[in-house]
Amino acid sequence: MTMPPKDLQPELALLARMKKGDEDAFAELYRRHRDAVYRLAMLYSGSTAHAADVTQETFVHFMTQPHQYDPLRGTLAAWLCGIARNLARKAVGGREDATDPEVMADDTSLHESHIDRDTPLDRILKGEVAEQVRRAVAGLKPHYRDILILCELSELSYAEAAQVAGIDIGTVRSRLSRARAQLAQRLAPHDLGAKEAV
Amino acid sequence: MTTEQSFLEPGQNTLLDLKLDELKRELSDMHAPDMEAALRARFRNTKPDAQPRPRLWWMPPLALAATIAMMSWVIRGPMPDATSLVSLAPPTTTIEGDRDPGPFLALQPLDRIASESGTRVVATEFPRALLADWGLPVSPDRAGEPVRAEMLYSADGEPLAVRLLN
Repeated sequence: MTMPPKDLQPELALLARMKKGDEDAFAELYRRHRDAVYRLAMLYSGSTAHAADVTQETFVHFMTQPHQYDPLRGTLAAWLCGIARNLARKAVGGREDATDPEVMADDTSLHESHIDRDTPLDRILKGEVAEQVRRAVAGLKPHYRDILILCELSELSYAEAAQVAGIDIGTVRSRLSRARAQLAQRLAPHDLGAKEAV
Repeated sequence: MTTEQSFLEPGQNTLLDLKLDELKRELSDMHAPDMEAALRARFRNTKPDAQPRPRLWWMPPLALAATIAMMSWVIRGPMPDATSLVSLAPPTTTIEGDRDPGPFLALQPLDRIASESGTRVVATEFPRALLADWGLPVSPDRAGEPVRAEMLYSADGEPLAVRLLN
């Protein structure tokens, strides 16, 4: 997934025009960021319908509250991803709140109840490996999945991910490292299965 | 991925990156449904909320007002009594170098000195007894000793102020 280029000037010019009521400027910004926002929402919700709703709500928020975006704190892409992430997590509900420190300390215990077994995204992703990875990502604990989606799959910088998740960069680094370790652990049986098949 | 501390072996990291790339490739084929027309319509009917004033909006004008007040006080402050022998602000540099030898002592009324143009500072040496002519106290025992000083002269050579260097 490729994020839009990080040269801020053209986007800031469009944003300034949009704030003055320029509809075309808003449409241009929407076209630039809609896919990244939609994919992020898909990863969080696993549903095309929810992802579409989240995408629409994200851009409605953008058009009504554009002053909330502060260019000094990051790119517009990261800010929009942050809105989409919050809306998607809100839509998914309470299971995203499992961030109890005791649970977080136990890195080896995986919560099968968090795994989305059959979601529309499974059917959309045709590749077997991609589907395995997607399911493994969905099975991660929310605070690890969150950072993995932001940093690895949405390609936000550590600083941007920290901003979006409301944590410091050091925590982003450690969570990402643990998330990758858990993901590799979850995917290991598939590797063994592939070797045995050969 | 570059993390300070990785729980994976380099080979495992590479394998995981390849798998994540596979998922990213699949995701890149997914596109948001077209909702531009609906959002455009919404945009036309939506007036963006007015940007709220920053929390410390009053700081810049307050700082400006304080600066103006300070400058006015400095410029319009009471002038020293021109009739008495008072010190003048020393120039930023001296002939003697960076060492600050102290203030000039006015030998003429300040308004007269202020109105002079083409003044110059000259390093000189003269008998200490000469100080008595300008109203400065001189010890009779040392009246014959030379004194090093910097003189402020008017354009036509009249001494306006003096600064003793020792």
